[in-house]
Amino acid sequence: MRDVRLSPQPHELLDRSRRVVFTYAGAEVAGYEGDTIGSALFASGRRVFSRSFKYHRPRGLLCCTGHCPNCLMTVDGVPNVRVCVEPIREGAVVEPQNVWGSAERDALGVVDKVAGPFTPVGFYYRTMIRPRRLWPLYEKALRSLAGLGKLSEHAGHTRRYDVEHRRARVLVVGGGAAGRTAAEAAAALGPGVVLVDEGPRLRGARLEGVEVLAPARALGIWEGNLVPVDCGTVLYRFRAERIVVAAGALDQPLLFPGNDLVGVMLPTGARRLLRDFALRPGTRAVVLAADDRDLELAEELREAGVAVPRVVDLRSEPVAGIAAQGARGRLRRVLLDGQAVDCDLLVASAGRQPAYALLAQAGARIEYDAEKGVFVPTGLPQGVEAVGAVTGEGCACVHPLRTPATAGGKCFVCVCEDVTTKDVKRAIAEGFDSLELAKRYTTVTMGPCQGKLCQLASNRLYAQATGASEAAVGTTTARPPWAPVELGLLAGREHTPARRTSIHFRHEEAGATMMWAGPWRRPYAYSDRPEEEVRAVHEGLGIIDVSTLGKLLVEGPQAAELLERLYPNRFSDLRPGRIRYGVLTTDGGRIMDDGTVARLADDLYYVTTTSTGADSVAAWFEWWNAVWGYAAEIVNVTGALAAVNLAGPRAREALQGLTETDVSAEAFRYLDAKELEVAGVPCLALRIGFVGELGYELHVPSPAGEHLWDALLAAGARPFGLEPQRVLRLEKAHIIVGQDTDSESNLLSAGLGWLPRLEKEDFVGKLALTHLAEREERERLVGFRMEDRVVPPEGAQVVIDGRPAGRVTSARWSEAVGAAIGLAWVPPERAEEGTRFEIRVDRRTLGARVAHGPFYDKAGERMRA
Amino acid sequence: MSGLAFLSPSRCAPGVELASPLRRALAGADPERVRDLSLTPVLELRGELASDALPVEGELVRLTPRRAFLFPGGDAADAARRLRAAGVLAYDASGALAGLEIAGERVMRRLTDLDLDRLPAAGPVAGVWALVLPGGDGRYRVFVHQELGHYVAEAVLDALAGVEANP
Repeated sequence: MRDVRLSPQPHELLDRSRRVVFTYAGAEVAGYEGDTIGSALFASGRRVFSRSFKYHRPRGLLCCTGHCPNCLMTVDGVPNVRVCVEPIREGAVVEPQNVWGSAERDALGVVDKVAGPFTPVGFYYRTMIRPRRLWPLYEKALRSLAGLGKLSEHAGHTRRYDVEHRRARVLVVGGGAAGRTAAEAAAALGPGVVLVDEGPRLRGARLEGVEVLAPARALGIWEGNLVPVDCGTVLYRFRAERIVVAAGALDQPLLFPGNDLVGVMLPTGARRLLRDFALRPGTRAVVLAADDRDLELAEELREAGVAVPRVVDLRSEPVAGIAAQGARGRLRRVLLDGQAVDCDLLVASAGRQPAYALLAQAGARIEYDAEKGVFVPTGLPQGVEAVGAVTGEGCACVHPLRTPATAGGKCFVCVCEDVTTKDVKRAIAEGFDSLELAKRYTTVTMGPCQGKLCQLASNRLYAQATGASEAAVGTTTARPPWAPVELGLLAGREHTPARRTSIHFRHEEAGATMMWAGPWRRPYAYSDRPEEEVRAVHEGLGIIDVSTLGKLLVEGPQAAELLERLYPNRFSDLRPGRIRYGVLTTDGGRIMDDGTVARLADDLYYVTTTSTGADSVAAWFEWWNAVWGYAAEIVNVTGALAAVNLAGPRAREALQGLTETDVSAEAFRYLDAKELEVAGVPCLALRIGFVGELGYELHVPSPAGEHLWDALLAAGARPFGLEPQRVLRLEKAHIIVGQDTDSESNLLSAGLGWLPRLEKEDFVGKLALTHLAEREERERLVGFRMEDRVVPPEGAQVVIDGRPAGRVTSARWSEAVGAAIGLAWVPPERAEEGTRFEIRVDRRTLGARVAHGPFYDKAGERMRA
Repeated sequence: MSGLAFLSPSRCAPGVELASPLRRALAGADPERVRDLSLTPVLELRGELASDALPVEGELVRLTPRRAFLFPGGDAADAARRLRAAGVLAYDASGALAGLEIAGERVMRRLTDLDLDRLPAAGPVAGVWALVLPGGDGRYRVFVHQELGHYVAEAVLDALAGVEANP
């Protein structure tokens, strides 16, 4: 083969002093720094770059601008890389995709020869619908035969992607002459001008006062002038005060039989090979020109040593019938109104269509300019401007359809999806008479080029076939992204916000198994024997980190009134220094959250919530306070305070050893709140007992959390995790909101009917609770004890007379009780103490009996000791 | 009963070691690029706030007409006491926030979409709520809820690595 690389050209992008080697299908290929993988492959003699989506037809370089699908390959494991714009790099591993064999000899090429007539557009909708159960097989077969590259399910991260937020006064998209002029003009008025261009020519270019990003691609325009820009491994999310779109125009293909043969190129493709990479795109060329630029290209080809036996100016020479013919997928000759011209390169264009997609996304109207034969943007939204060819300036298109009546061979409207003119006409005949409908049926304009090369052609084909005007046919909706983008780039860095208490690392150091509890990381247990931690609490002294509890201060002259209306029970009569349990309900009377409320002073309350409820309860309080307008402030101090629950028969003794304040049973009673100093740390101590033993919650400044924890450990406490805590609270039949209740649970059915004070004038949920009290209950939350030692899983079905009648919400084995115990929702008529019901466990039904109240220390003497 | 001393780390007795939530995440980090500002004295103020009428000097960052943070420079508990005496609801938030001083606009732009030319501002940094203040010389002070401090510090270190890997 004759060497296609020309002698050094004045504007080539190559650094010929630097040779770069990579492999293609296992063979070494060499190119120069500045080459793309595609240009290097072309220089090495490769002409078939891919196989088409459906028919597996050989495809070669067409546009060389990264728009068409003809050069998609897998590079270093990343599928669907457009090698015509992918810079060459040393050691890259390049493989063809969507082939059985090689790109040159693809066994699936038989589809084109044999199955073509049987696979018209939408054939699978008609032929593969019965029997329905076989569809998975059909689908598997179709997916293995057709499609693009495959993503390995086991692929790891191929590279690092970052996202960067940027702001610009003026963002210019497109670095052609019009874009550069606009950028320089904007820069003359002040800083903050950024120019983005897809091509490599502006890489490192310096424009006075302008930041140039190239090669980089604007992916779309969103509300608020948000423009994501793909820079390869960094996605810039620009917010621009003004956007100037100078995206230029795109060569449009002609529609004629054989228009996808290897050797048929758009003018941009041939021009890039010549100018950027000093490559001769063919040896004998025919040029079908639609404007003066194409005519100039014919001259350039001649100067490069390409024989050009025929140049046709389609504006003045009415060639009605064009057909390309070839062998083994490669162009051999072109028939122009029946006259054959031998060639291996056909540069053919219907003209240039403005690249309006970004403007359309921004909200511009797209209208057909009958004089120019192209669609142009009008009615630009505020803050968005257009300059240059994208406005239609210098653009014109001849009619792209040049199919001779008698010619055979496939004529492609859409090379991405292998949609032919015949397919489109068939769709119209089947009733898909609007372009938007046809898009969904034929997939024309839905492929990798996103309509860049087929929008105009399909519009004009539709207009011709239906007799409607091009303006009436219109265009399909332009949606971002403007060009394909790697999902990794869109995803950016993966960070999961994890909340850690200020004592978190003490748990890790102690070997705790950590688990997610809502947004928090919490210790599950400190060993693989959580029951030992339970025993330590019952028999000695345990500590658990409860810093995750929500903590709110409610302060102000009307703080009491606010809480009185937020909670169903009373808080205005709570004396300073005392604590009361509270459950929040929604206005529908459903249980929302629970916790304790301590009155620290006449106008100051300290409210705790569940671990996951802090933010929502704070927002709930704020919302109602804004409605009612009470003189009260709500301050979320969840993060400000670490909290440790000290529990067990030795709790008082241990606490007394760390404080000078008298914490005797008389001085510090059950449900007292006291401010004291523990181990040198100022502390709010609450005498409460979620885990059923004598206990104190110690709330201290977060930075002192580790100090307090260490002091308590030194006092002989053993840490216990969430799992032991769940056993301990279940022994007391204490509910966990969100686990034992759901969005339908109310106070009455949850066994908390003693809590609401319906005689209060008003509170959130009062009306609903009043109504609920008058109605029959549908279900009730009860404690139960299993008849054998099996612990049913949470969520297990409660079965009565063989039918589902409820569910288990919590269940554990309790060593102290000597039984498997739990909580479950059952029908009210089965809620009597001792009533038997069954629970389905692993396809068996096991007996359980209702057991009201705490299973352990029923009178609460240990807690109140 | 309450002077809210239990909110104030500075009210701990001498010898009590106060731990920053970033201590482990930033161990070994280059202090020229990221520095731990946790335990900086700061107050959360509520009510009608006229900065010229406050009896405590400091950097006031107003979040809403009735909510602000005040960085008093000196002891936060003392400042809270004086403010309360003057009728301002003040809460010691020194233990509530983790703080980082980050060098470099590029790093910040990889963490937040806040307009860095218009600081102070409150908004998302690494996907969580943060208060961002100018630090001078291309540095930024970022305060987040202390329980998210370790996570944010990891995100900051990752962003710093990203600026090197993908400049």
